[in-house]
Amino acid sequence: MAFTPKAQAFSAHINAVTLGTGDNSVVIGGENVLPFYTFDAPIENAPKIGIQISDLGLTQLNAPGFQELYAGCSTMAEMAKKAETVEGVSFLCLVFEGADPNGEDKSVDECVAQLKEVAAATTKPLCIMGCKNVEKDAALFAAMADAIAGKNALFLSAKEENYKQVGASVVMAQNHKMGAESAVDINLAKQLNVVIGQLGVDTQSVLMNIGTAAAGYGFEYVSSTLDRVKAAALAQNDTQLQMPIITPVSTETWNTKEAVVSEEDMPEWGSREERGIEMEITTAVACLAGGSDAVVMAHPKAIASVAKMINALM
Amino acid sequence: MALKGLDIFKLSPKTNCKECGSPTCMAFCMKVAQGAVGIDKCPHMSDEALALLSEATAPPMKTITVGAGECEHKLGGETVLFRHEKTLVNKNLFAMPVGTCLDDATVDARLEAMKKIDYERIGEREYVEFVYVNCCDGAGADKYLPVVKKAAATGRVLILSCTDVDIAKQALEVCKDSKPILNGCTKDNVDAMNALATEAGVVLGVRGASVEEMYDVVAKLEAAGNKNLIIDVTGADAKETLKNAVQLRRAALKDGDRTAGYPSIVNVAKLAKGDTHLQTALASLFTLKYGSIIVMEEMGYPEALALYGLRQNIYTDPQKPMKVAPGIYPLNGATPDDPCMMTVDFALTYFLVSGEIERSKVPINLIITDASGMSVLTAWAAGKFSSSTVKKGFDELEIEKKINNRTLVIPGKVAVMKGEIADKLPEWNVVVGTREAVEIVKFLKDGEHVKAAEAVAKQKAESGFVAKKVEVKEDAPIDFDKLVYPEIKVTEQSVKFKGYDPSSPKFVTIGERIHCISPVIREAMNNYDPEPILKRAAEQIAAGATYLDVNIGPAESNGPELMTWAVRTLQENFNNVPLALDTANKKAIEAGIRVYNRTNGKPIVNSADAGSRISYIDLAAANDAIVIALCSADGIAKDNDERMHHCHNMLDRGIGLGMEADDLWFDPLFLVVKGMQDKQMDVLNAIKMFADEGLKSTGGLSNNSNGAPKNVRPIMDSALVAMCMMQGLTSAIVNPCDLRLMETIKSCDIFKNHELYSDSYLEI
Repeated sequence: MAFTPKAQAFSAHINAVTLGTGDNSVVIGGENVLPFYTFDAPIENAPKIGIQISDLGLTQLNAPGFQELYAGCSTMAEMAKKAETVEGVSFLCLVFEGADPNGEDKSVDECVAQLKEVAAATTKPLCIMGCKNVEKDAALFAAMADAIAGKNALFLSAKEENYKQVGASVVMAQNHKMGAESAVDINLAKQLNVVIGQLGVDTQSVLMNIGTAAAGYGFEYVSSTLDRVKAAALAQNDTQLQMPIITPVSTETWNTKEAVVSEEDMPEWGSREERGIEMEITTAVACLAGGSDAVVMAHPKAIASVAKMINALM
Repeated sequence: MALKGLDIFKLSPKTNCKECGSPTCMAFCMKVAQGAVGIDKCPHMSDEALALLSEATAPPMKTITVGAGECEHKLGGETVLFRHEKTLVNKNLFAMPVGTCLDDATVDARLEAMKKIDYERIGEREYVEFVYVNCCDGAGADKYLPVVKKAAATGRVLILSCTDVDIAKQALEVCKDSKPILNGCTKDNVDAMNALATEAGVVLGVRGASVEEMYDVVAKLEAAGNKNLIIDVTGADAKETLKNAVQLRRAALKDGDRTAGYPSIVNVAKLAKGDTHLQTALASLFTLKYGSIIVMEEMGYPEALALYGLRQNIYTDPQKPMKVAPGIYPLNGATPDDPCMMTVDFALTYFLVSGEIERSKVPINLIITDASGMSVLTAWAAGKFSSSTVKKGFDELEIEKKINNRTLVIPGKVAVMKGEIADKLPEWNVVVGTREAVEIVKFLKDGEHVKAAEAVAKQKAESGFVAKKVEVKEDAPIDFDKLVYPEIKVTEQSVKFKGYDPSSPKFVTIGERIHCISPVIREAMNNYDPEPILKRAAEQIAAGATYLDVNIGPAESNGPELMTWAVRTLQENFNNVPLALDTANKKAIEAGIRVYNRTNGKPIVNSADAGSRISYIDLAAANDAIVIALCSADGIAKDNDERMHHCHNMLDRGIGLGMEADDLWFDPLFLVVKGMQDKQMDVLNAIKMFADEGLKSTGGLSNNSNGAPKNVRPIMDSALVAMCMMQGLTSAIVNPCDLRLMETIKSCDIFKNHELYSDSYLEI
């Protein structure tokens, strides 16, 4: 008997969410098959890659590849201009880690000014990441949503503690997009989407960040959560889990031992930068293979390789 | 895949000859489907039908063994497409290519580079398991054999990539004893390659220009009787390769097409020649998407650290905790003169704690103790993380010889262990650390551990303390008649226990509220203060509990005294209420049973399992007690086959020791919905299996709703208890103060005809 493969497209599909405006806008999600299963049904929107830059400059991302890319840059806007030219990048991801009250504690105004400068200098869609302090992020996002009204940016992310403020200021007031962040738990992810919907936020404006880990560091939980979210969204038509998924990768991978330990301490491990790049590639691809519709990365070589793989599979 | 009775019936002779012992063919086939009788009992089943039936009961994907001796590897054998559905069985392996197209120096360099990658990560050896030896187009045996010999000299298993039968034959003569894979069967050489591989007893690799062609070649080989195969799914490009890998695996596991059910080779070296980063990307993809052997051109440390880390995560069994090896982990350049911190061997705890310590930059020796891969509090409550296990770990690891510093920081969550650890490790200055890992950085940077250790040392010096070597006698005999505990106070109680008839079929509720994990109870037990314990007992009895569970925690220093006191206090105050004795201290259970009054039923030993706590069955048998028998060994059983296997093992053991089957109450282990929703029906089905065998059952039913909102929990618990009672559950460990739950149980007992209905049945 000849082999007759069965196509397994689903009648349900992931929401398609647009970021940015005009020619440079990107659409995330929209598929009705498992990741890269183009043999089941065409995938209209390939997974997208965002590039991470920090308001504090190079910080821990200071390997030669970063130094080279951002040589001569003295402001976030200058870095952003360079970043958006990196091959494979679809959107910019601005991390305002300097706003952290337990760190630099930069004022909201200062961060907003930086953001406006970036917005004026660049053309790609913007994704804004906060400092992980829920109160500060809520204040920061509200001011930023007003400052770049009309840009259709993504704010990453709202959590259980601040989704009301973020949902009201970012989506309901200014029609931007919001990320809903939960910690690698499918039940919590669904719950957060439910309450965001109950708030009156159009769930078509929501992306999910279901949490993240680096390969080798409890990634099995991320992998299984991604698998289960996609199964619920597509096979069970669970509308509360049909938001596209965005996963920050480089924020995790460049903090792992593999990417941090110096060549003097571990001569046999070889180039530290290469270790960081391979950790970033491996983790990003594993997220995409599980069902992330977008990943946030940092190193230009890692981004180029993952983009190349995505193109090869589309 | 399970066959239904009707499917078998279609293949049966349908003559109702009764020679099998069943009245009709239909009845016989139904029994076969349940596994009650073998198909061979029917003398008239055709060979064709027998072959079909044995095929139908074969696993959907074959397990293929390659290599010999220490280099033997298993591939395939998967039963699910996603790890959360059950578990993935055989991790993917890696190969590095050499071949006739490369010059000698390159071949040598590659093989040398490959040998450098050989290290351990969380108990697993990480290295390149295979050498993939290409025989490029136009090359003859004279060029191929030297490369094969060089590759064979590495001791790794070979994959001979060669479609020329004669060359392959000569290559096999060089290396067939090491059981290589012969990857060279195409539609054009099926018969010759099949003969060659079969004779040499090696796995044959199948290739094709399309997935349909690969499938056809496999079908031909199967028809010729060869099922020792692997499919090289590598297509013209990455896209086609993914399609091939997914479609075959899905056909095998989802649609039961066994011809598709073989492990795969994915040659990413071919798909992304010369591009290491792209190869890493593709290797990650195929680690998740059904590559069994992945061929990588370059595997240096940067690639290995990332890819093996990913592989190790993906191939962990979701039912088994990931453990790190017990030992001393010097962090931030710690030397034997630096302080020690201690935690458990649960991998996530280790990563969290070691990560925070590393962030503090303070040199610390992190000591990991064997706690069966449980988190700190869980391990403590289960008796897996106690002063005895710590002492044992310190002795086995010879920590006092290896470390000079005597500061030991223990996790804040088990501050209660401080005294006991200090007693067993008298040389050490035991300090209580933080409750949460995130607080560690501040704790260490502020030098809290040093200050606290100095304070302990000062106190010891002032009290004239002299460290004596402590001998821990595991099985020191205890004179139960000479236990010293406070006098039992009997007071007039507002609630009376109504009595219990063990022969009643009614559902048995075991009240769970006297548990040392509750701070109030822990405090009361520390001080032998009966009031809080009696208060909770009265509440539970008033709410209708049949038994009361008494959990005294690990109680290492005073278990027998504490349990004796608790049993007498509860029974003498409450008309000999029956009790379940719950502790990791077996002597304490023995002591409790010695003073236990059996008027209202035997004592329950809580609990045995099929692993390290199997001897609790012996304890119950020796003391004529009931035992709760947890159907798990290490971690949660992965399916009901395993649950029943544990169940039968424990049943055998109990019966062998003279117990009545009725005195073993089997616990399927209730699982939390938030996290293990897809396993709930397994638990319910296991209860039915117990009931069908006439066995009693129980368990911590309210675990299902752990982490759910307070107002939702009674609703979930009630729904579940009703479903469980329908399946035949005979008892549960519950919070009897949950009115909705207790009313549901009483109502179910009405429907089950265990209690005669009256309008006031809820009040009785």
